[in-house]
Amino acid sequence: MKMRLALAIASILILVVHGFIFYKQFFHKWETYQASYFDQARTLAKTDQEKDALSGRSAKIEQIIVTQFGNERVDRCTTCHIGSDDPRFKDAPHPYKAHPYSAELGDKQGADGKWERRHKFSDMGCTVCHDGQGRGLEEFYAHGEDEFWNDPMIGYVTQENWKYKDKLKGKEFMQANCAQCHTDKEFKSTPLVNKGRELFIQKNCYGCHRIEGISNGTLGPDLSEVGKKWKLDYIYESIVDPRANSKTSFMPKFNLSDDEVKALAIFLKSRRGFNYAETNLDRYRMTLNKGQVTPPAPVTDKSPVPAANDPVARGEQLINERACVACHKIGDKDGGIAPDLSFEGLIKEDKWVAAHFKDPRALVPDSIMPTFGFSDADYQAMTAYLVSQKKTPSLNNPQEIYTNLCLRCHGDKGDGHGTIATYLDPYPRDFTNAGFMNSKTDDRLMNSIKNGVPGTSMPAWGKVLNDDQVKGVLTYINQNFTKEARTEIKKRDVPEKNPVADTPESVAAGESIYLQRCTGCHGRKADGKGPNSLDILPRPRNLLNAGFINKAEDRRLFESILYGVQGTAMPPWIDYGLSKDDVGNVINYLRSLNKNKKDLVAMCH
Amino acid sequence: MSEKDNAHEVESSEPITRRKVLAWLTSMGILGSAIVSVFSNFVFIKPRATYGLPTRFSIGTPNDYPPGTRIALGKERVAIIREGEKMAAISITCTHLGCIVGVADTGFACPCHGSRFDQDGNVTGGPAPRPLPWYELSLAPNGELEVDKGKEITPGKWFTV
Repeated sequence: MKMRLALAIASILILVVHGFIFYKQFFHKWETYQASYFDQARTLAKTDQEKDALSGRSAKIEQIIVTQFGNERVDRCTTCHIGSDDPRFKDAPHPYKAHPYSAELGDKQGADGKWERRHKFSDMGCTVCHDGQGRGLEEFYAHGEDEFWNDPMIGYVTQENWKYKDKLKGKEFMQANCAQCHTDKEFKSTPLVNKGRELFIQKNCYGCHRIEGISNGTLGPDLSEVGKKWKLDYIYESIVDPRANSKTSFMPKFNLSDDEVKALAIFLKSRRGFNYAETNLDRYRMTLNKGQVTPPAPVTDKSPVPAANDPVARGEQLINERACVACHKIGDKDGGIAPDLSFEGLIKEDKWVAAHFKDPRALVPDSIMPTFGFSDADYQAMTAYLVSQKKTPSLNNPQEIYTNLCLRCHGDKGDGHGTIATYLDPYPRDFTNAGFMNSKTDDRLMNSIKNGVPGTSMPAWGKVLNDDQVKGVLTYINQNFTKEARTEIKKRDVPEKNPVADTPESVAAGESIYLQRCTGCHGRKADGKGPNSLDILPRPRNLLNAGFINKAEDRRLFESILYGVQGTAMPPWIDYGLSKDDVGNVINYLRSLNKNKKDLVAMCH
Repeated sequence: MSEKDNAHEVESSEPITRRKVLAWLTSMGILGSAIVSVFSNFVFIKPRATYGLPTRFSIGTPNDYPPGTRIALGKERVAIIREGEKMAAISITCTHLGCIVGVADTGFACPCHGSRFDQDGNVTGGPAPRPLPWYELSLAPNGELEVDKGKEITPGKWFTV
């Protein structure tokens, strides 16, 4: 009896499931919509012709196949939105509502009052402008939910959960999709996209971000396809608060108005990596001559120039406009990413500043500062302004000096973890590392402070401070951070000058020793990025840093290689069997790597 | 005997046993789902939508076709003909073996086996067995003409603009 009961229940259950599936498969919402539309249309039909057109129409899947925009699109949106091109339904509720006519879109009103669309639905389909999935026949699939959909319908429907929906309201963001085909920079109907593109250049976004065909920045993420990957809301948030979505982002917060952020967000949303009007063949051709199609960063100089005659004032204006203080510090404005430029006029010469603007990495090889493509006149003006920053700070005691000049990089504990330290390479020196500090003579340390360390972000403070002040700072550092009494420094037996002649044979011998002994940390390319380098602090020296290597005396290199660098991972190679001749060869090899960069380096200090 | 009869009567006067109800329910369930599956299988035979050009498509406004037009739309495989205020959509797929017929002022001609049709699509020569079909033309509310290749109409039934 139990078995029979179970069988009965099971069979009824199967019937119910079957019935449910049958209902789901054959009774659709869109059929109800269409039936209702036809009923309404029949009552609205006045002429015989109109009635004829409706006779025999029954609910069926309507689809528009669009082949002219790249990949084939199948848009079935009109299955539900069947009244979308029926002007009689202009005030009907959704989904019957007719798509409005708009002169902005190029629709024309004829003499008889009838409108004609510029973008005919039968040619264009729907998703080319509105996104969403054209094949979907249910709201969920067709409109998409923007939380987990690449191309949710860009429109009012998906805005509900947007954090910034108040700021991105309206049809303005549709411009992002107009720009998929209308790529003309001056296209009248996409003012926000055009403004965003200008801002992308003007606000220096291009310095860090790459967008194919526009810029080649490498510091930030590639934004060529950002519009495909993220929703508008996310892009907006990433601009106003870079760390909201990516905790490790070091993109500065730019001081942008709401309108500017909106324009940028809409411009970025329009970046999908390709344009709809291209065919697959066009795209293939693009990939064939890659590199040639990417133009250099265009520089539009549209900012007003009221102070053109005074280069310093013009430079100040440019530096403020171009968001330099989004990273750097000048006076009270501090971006918290890049070095302090308040004393630039004292520390650096105009030649150095101008050369550094043009190619930061020629002078500081591991700098992350982007190469901006400004005009020479702009660079000169900006240099003039920076070099005019000559006000000597009034600093009374070593502590004040340290707080004002050193702390930003070396940190308040002197451990090298200053606020901007993570953005500097080489990393600021850790003063608490007594092994290192006490293995160097006072002269050597004083020299680093006074003359700076070439090829790094350490400036020559000797031009701001006098010898007593430098000595005071060194004592302050020793007492507060190193906290170990200075010890007698062993006299090392090293030659002043490299005794091995600089011959091709010596360089070749040096290279083979380098490859055997040094690549683990300093890397095959000698760029300080060997496989072990990640585990080592302080990081191995970048030996391609011409500013540093060419300035370092033979004696210093000899000592560092033969006797190691205390407090770091550099071992005394004399213990591992390197002779003085071997070291001489290695030094010749290192010098040969940096030989052709001498001209630029002459400008360092 | 009477006792036996009596017992039988007791059995038959109580026809709705638990067992019978269950059997009935079971058979209803199985039969019902069988019927539903048969139905759905029949409905599934014809696809609801196919990829490729929809049978009903827009060809633009009547103004795109000035009087005197005889033009072949290659992708849609239909010729649009307008004489004065009268318009028609005639298939350009040959009724013989499906080649695309050429459209001229004097009629249609098939390049494959030489079938010939007059201006209205009637066969005038060659192997074609039937005249070219006419499709329904209608004016959509947005002012565009629509051709429905799913609906053949009697040749000579013109659409008046």
